[in-house]
Amino acid sequence: MSSRRSSRSRQSGSSRISDDQISDLVSKLQHLIPELRRRRSDKVSASKVLQETCNYIRNLHREVDDLSDRLSELLASTDDNSAEAAIIRSLLNY
Amino acid sequence: MASADKLINTDVPEKDVFALHFLQSLSNLKTQNPLNSPAKSIDRVRKIKKAAYVSMARAAGGTSRLWSRALLRRAAKDDNKSVRFSRRKRKVTWKISSKRRKSNNQRAPVVEEAAERLRNLVPGGGGMETSKLMEETAHYIKCLSMQVKVMQCLVDGLSQK
Repeated sequence: MSSRRSSRSRQSGSSRISDDQISDLVSKLQHLIPELRRRRSDKVSASKVLQETCNYIRNLHREVDDLSDRLSELLASTDDNSAEAAIIRSLLNY
Repeated sequence: MASADKLINTDVPEKDVFALHFLQSLSNLKTQNPLNSPAKSIDRVRKIKKAAYVSMARAAGGTSRLWSRALLRRAAKDDNKSVRFSRRKRKVTWKISSKRRKSNNQRAPVVEEAAERLRNLVPGGGGMETSKLMEETAHYIKCLSMQVKVMQCLVDGLSQK
C-alpha cells in the first residue's frame, strides 16, 4: 500500500507467529519457573504462566537487591587482600 | 508459515562469563572509589546493584538482545553517556507505539493483561509485541538467575573467612 519503506508490513508479517510457537514459548517459560516446573504434566494456562513469571522476576529482583546489600557490607568490612583471596576461592569452588 | 522456520533461541552463556563481567565491574568500582571509604553505604549498595545489572546485560550479549539493550541504555542515561550500538539493523523496530501493538496482538485479552504486567518488569518490554516479549522474558529470567548464582557464590565465599 505505501511506497515508503513500510516497517509496518514487515512488522505484521513477523507478528503473525503461529499459535504453536506461542505455546512453545509458554511451555519454555513454564519450565524455567520453579513454581510451575512440578506441574509439567498438567497444562497450565498461558495467563497463569505469565502471572507466575511476573512473580518470579520480582523475586529475582529482590534477591539481587538483597545480595547487593550483603556484598556491599562484606566488601567494605574485609580488607583488600582477604577479599581477593575469598573471591578467588569462591570462584574455584563452584 | 511453518513454525519450524523461526528458531527461537534462548541460550545464555556459561556462569563464568557472568562472573567475569561482574568481577570486572566490581574492580572498576573499587578503583573509582575505595570501598572502605566512609561513603554512604546506600550509595555503595546502589552502585553494586547497578554493576550487577550492567555486567549481566553485557554478559548476556550486550546490544544483541532487546532487554539488555534497554538496560544498558537506561544505565548509560543515568551516567549521561551514550551507548554504542554495534550493528544497527534498520528493520528491527523495537519501539512500537502501543496503538500499533494492539492491532498486531490477537491473543486472548486475559493473556494480554498478564503480558502488560510482564512488560513493566522486563527492561524494554514496553515496545515489544507479546510473542517477542515472551522470548525476551525467557532469556532475561535465565540471565537473572545466573547473575543471582554468581552473586550468591561471591557472598558465600566472602562470608567464610
